[in-house]
Amino acid sequence: MEKTFPRSIDSLDSIFAFIEQFFTDEAIDPGLRPVINLTVEELFVNMVNYNEEGDSEIRLRMERCDGELVASLTDFDVDRFDPTERPDVDITKPLADRIPGGLGIHLVRKMVDSLDYDYSNRQSTITIRKALGGEAGSGSSGSDYVQD
Amino acid sequence: MFKIEFGEDGNIVCAGRLDAAQTRVAEAFLDSVSEPAVMDCSGLEYISSAGLGALLKTQKRLMAVGGGLKLVKVNNHVGDIFKYAGFDRIFEIEAAEG
Repeated sequence: MEKTFPRSIDSLDSIFAFIEQFFTDEAIDPGLRPVINLTVEELFVNMVNYNEEGDSEIRLRMERCDGELVASLTDFDVDRFDPTERPDVDITKPLADRIPGGLGIHLVRKMVDSLDYDYSNRQSTITIRKALGGEAGSGSSGSDYVQD
Repeated sequence: MFKIEFGEDGNIVCAGRLDAAQTRVAEAFLDSVSEPAVMDCSGLEYISSAGLGALLKTQKRLMAVGGGLKLVKVNNHVGDIFKYAGFDRIFEIEAAEG
């Protein structure tokens, strides 16, 4: 299942609706949806913010594969920007030393099982994988789904 | 949809989804808060890094004048996000009951 979205944060409502439809069609535990919403939002917003010169739409592709949910975002005709190369945020710093920003990729790393980046032919693709953990309704909600 | 306002008890009440598209709404409100305050998060369903940034910016500003935001009635999902962002170290946070 895939769809392209205008490169604007105003696309987020449409993206969340698309993700909800995917969960319904695939009968995936809705308790996992906040995690996928958040990771897709963070990666999409990164693409919007860090390739401001781009004017093409961003493609979101989602599939269920071998017990995993696989979601990939592709930005077309852009310079290379690999968010996985960004150093992780130090969340132990005192408040005075904390700087707003940079938390997005940190949260994505915490919540998914893998995060991969590919760049070729001026196409930037980032893919996340998240284990579905059994039957729908098996309890991937609340505090249970976050990876330590 | 995201809403943020003062409740009748003087607490900040926020509800809905605080995603990147709604952060400007949160920032516009939070920039008007000039004193330590309690934020009732019972209706807050979702927050992403953009919303976290707005809270962090507000906390830095308020702590510099003697007090910050206290985040109360936080649900499990949002509480996890706060924890993974390290907010449990820099905010006073109370989970929702039950």
